[in-house]
Amino acid sequence: MKKILIANRGEIAVRIIRACREMGIRTVAVFSEADRNALHAELADEAICIGPAPSDKSYLDMESILSAAFVSGADAIHPGFGFLSENSRFVSLCEQCNITFIGPPAEIIDRLGDKQAARNTMMAAGVPVIPGTRQAILDTKTGAEEAAKIGYPVMIKAALGGGGKGMRSAFGPEEFEHQFLTAQREALKAFGDGTMYIEKLIQKPRHIEVQILADKYGNVVHLGERDCSIQRNHQKLIEESPGVGISDELRTKMGETAVRAARAAGYVNAGTIEFLLDKSGEFYFMEMNTRIQVEHPVTEWVTGVDLVKEQIRVAAGEKLAFSQEDILIKGHAIECRINAENPDKGFMPCPGTITALHLPGGKGIRIDSAMYSGCEIPPYYDSMIAKLIVWGKTRDEAIRKMKSALDEVIIEGVCTNVDYQYDILDHPDFAAGKTDIEFIERFSREEQ
Amino acid sequence: MKLDNVFKKRKIEQEELGSEQAASEGPKIPAGLLKKCNHCKAAIIAEDVKRDYYVCPKCGEYFHVPARVRLAMTVDEGTFEEWDPVMEPVNPMEYKGYPEKVAALQEKTGLNEAVITGKGSIDGQKTAIGICDGRFLMASMGYNVGEKITRMVERASEERLPVIIFCCSGGARMQEGIVSLMQMAKTSAALKRHSDAGLLYISVLTDPTTGGVTASFAMLGDIILAEPKALIGFAGPRVIEQTMKQKLPKGFQRSEFLLEHGFVDEIVERPKMKEALASYLRMHSEEARQKETIIDINAAPVQEKMCEERKLSAWDRVLLSRQNDRPVGTDYIELLFTDFRELHGDRQFGDDGAIVGGVAMFHGRPVTVIVQEKGKTTKENIARGFGMPKPEGYRKALRLMKQAEKFHRPVFCIVDTPGAFCGMEAEERGQGEAIARNLWELSSLKVPVLTVVTGEGGSGGALALAVADEVWMLENATYSILSPEGFASILWKDAKKADEAAKAMKLTAGDVLKSGVIERVIPEPEELTRETLSEVTMIMEPAMEAFMQRYENMSEEELVNHRYSRFRGM
Repeated sequence: MKKILIANRGEIAVRIIRACREMGIRTVAVFSEADRNALHAELADEAICIGPAPSDKSYLDMESILSAAFVSGADAIHPGFGFLSENSRFVSLCEQCNITFIGPPAEIIDRLGDKQAARNTMMAAGVPVIPGTRQAILDTKTGAEEAAKIGYPVMIKAALGGGGKGMRSAFGPEEFEHQFLTAQREALKAFGDGTMYIEKLIQKPRHIEVQILADKYGNVVHLGERDCSIQRNHQKLIEESPGVGISDELRTKMGETAVRAARAAGYVNAGTIEFLLDKSGEFYFMEMNTRIQVEHPVTEWVTGVDLVKEQIRVAAGEKLAFSQEDILIKGHAIECRINAENPDKGFMPCPGTITALHLPGGKGIRIDSAMYSGCEIPPYYDSMIAKLIVWGKTRDEAIRKMKSALDEVIIEGVCTNVDYQYDILDHPDFAAGKTDIEFIERFSREEQ
Repeated sequence: MKLDNVFKKRKIEQEELGSEQAASEGPKIPAGLLKKCNHCKAAIIAEDVKRDYYVCPKCGEYFHVPARVRLAMTVDEGTFEEWDPVMEPVNPMEYKGYPEKVAALQEKTGLNEAVITGKGSIDGQKTAIGICDGRFLMASMGYNVGEKITRMVERASEERLPVIIFCCSGGARMQEGIVSLMQMAKTSAALKRHSDAGLLYISVLTDPTTGGVTASFAMLGDIILAEPKALIGFAGPRVIEQTMKQKLPKGFQRSEFLLEHGFVDEIVERPKMKEALASYLRMHSEEARQKETIIDINAAPVQEKMCEERKLSAWDRVLLSRQNDRPVGTDYIELLFTDFRELHGDRQFGDDGAIVGGVAMFHGRPVTVIVQEKGKTTKENIARGFGMPKPEGYRKALRLMKQAEKFHRPVFCIVDTPGAFCGMEAEERGQGEAIARNLWELSSLKVPVLTVVTGEGGSGGALALAVADEVWMLENATYSILSPEGFASILWKDAKKADEAAKAMKLTAGDVLKSGVIERVIPEPEELTRETLSEVTMIMEPAMEAFMQRYENMSEEELVNHRYSRFRGM
């Protein structure tokens, strides 16, 4: 592998380019017309414009990206996250074009992308899943019967759902029909398919995910967990590793389960198994993400493993250079996602030009960002403009460090959620580790 | 700060990486994986194009479709039976190299000639179908193309099947000379016989349809559909530009241009073509026409409040009939009919927005619907000419009435017009002639005709759609020789006395009913708007059903005599 094309933009593209540079691999950036002056395009060895600003005409345009790989002679493509990272069609096109896709093969993405198929695979492998229907539910009557069998409260979910669309909870039979129909209508509108599933609603769970790495030779290791319970409208805001109050025993149990899940799927490369963890310590498989994730730096910091470099090595056919015993979790890392958005106006995206920029530094501070003073934040893409990651010997030290670092962040020209993040960290419940996926809902109510 | 070569990018030596990749030969795009769109120049994945109806996934441009692929897109799987698959090659002028060229094309395309013909089902509806293939000498029409089409049409007439032809052609086949020219006459003659036998022909124009094909079978459909942006014309644009030494405007001779000029009924996007064809076939099938009605007309006797009960002056009613939020013609179509498909154009000059017409289903039976349309917003009002039809509007209506007669469909008309359009261009195109022609033709149309005046029944402009077996009026509609303003100005030289004129003119529904010019008054709710329109259509619907049952079983002669005597006594 001599040259890698990075089919992405922003901080993740920069993150990948840096890993490639350190490994002595040449890089090809692709950029849209709106990203002509973007950092990733400047930092790569070569940069190719792949189309107009809207992502469906550039970063999602498979033909343009393949053409760019062909023209530049790139022998591999790293997809980053979002865009084409979990598009099995793109992966199979790469395979046809003799280009290594840095990620799992197409059929594994397909297998894990289909929620019901993934669930069946996991159940067969003895991975706990949330009790629920195995068959597709299309009408309220069958739905209500199934819900009664599972036991209220239940969650009604669209088969093709994501991002909270086509998802409703019902706390009793009296509200089932209304909630089911609302969810189905939403699903039909958003995905053109009204196939629904019903499962037990786990109340106030935490979102705990386990990072795994698998090579092509059947070696799978887990790299501990991340607690991503701080979410607003299913968008993660703060992630940390390790999770508060996760005992070594539970970590081992969840980790081993994750490894079993990855093996069951025949997984290769870096991936994440998402679990819901309830108050009694029971955990349930939600889904597997077949890409590098935004929050990967917290895992990197507590394990010392460079996940992007490992992705490249695995894709190049290397064996994992470490085994499970080598993975030790050290200290505590927290990540805050900094978005160009206005918390006072319903978190409306706030694109614009960065007129002044100061970012914190020092021991235990990491910034992953594609921002520079004078750069443009285009309106076309995700509003995340930086990730601020800190490391402390303890969670308490990490929180103090994060608060101090957030205070040092100066971003002028666009609104950001920096102060909002500070307020979350400053909340006594956060400090006490009393977090679950409804934390932000409560927090927002208090703020008002 | 501008980033431009600011980073040093010194080369770092590469670390050891997997041996497996050492032999990598770099990216290779397999032949046939990618295509280029000639329109937007973008690279596109070939299989996407095939999957998406041969439409560019990037810019939506239509690519030419090989005949066999078109067949698969259109005809139900496994139902196609090909007719005349092998024709003996001809060379009437003994043109040098022609047989070799045909042989080479047969080899290359796998086709015997530029058209395939046969019989198949579209969504279960049996039809004869012919599909031209532009890869074969631009689908030009020589003896074999003309012969295959003629045979198909003749056989369809014999088997009483509808005919569909997907047209595409460069025109006559030069290599066959005068024989090629005669194919235009031959195919047209066969289609005339087919039509005289009361059978349906739908022609679908695809890019490009030109020359002798346009001037024969392409333009002879009872219904003419076109794919978007297809080039359709007699003389090709290059020929016109060279002859006239002038540049042609953008969009000239494209489907949309033809629709605007009245030569195309409907532009149908390729993915929706099969559905459109199936729906037209269904509405023209013998079964649809002979379907027994199951609606009991006596089921719901509706309390009808007569208009006298409300104390409104004639002028009040004139104002109500013109009110902005009063329902317009298309609102009635939406509530009274199903499966409406609008058919555009007069096939002579243009497509008038003030008249909307087409085929629809009423209680399971196909009918022709023609309404005068004012539009709902200012923008629509302008596009619809404020409901004042031009000659091309009346000619479109007439074309659809004659079509209804051919297919034995009753005609429902909605009248709502201040009057026929008044202006220079209307006179140039014979406004008087157009109205007169409608009166003449309607008087002897051999299918039942019902007209409902729902708003303004303005003079000859209204009458052109109202030489019917019965004419009904809504409670607050008006029907008059002239507008009250015009009446006051002509007789009293003072347009301001319109309110007095309204009274004198006896133009309200009640007055007109008394005069015996109409058969029925349909009561209106307190305020008639789009929201309350269903209260009116609930009364109209059973009454219309009763009308159908009254006239459906009359012989053509009885029907025409009835209509004649209706007006003879006035």
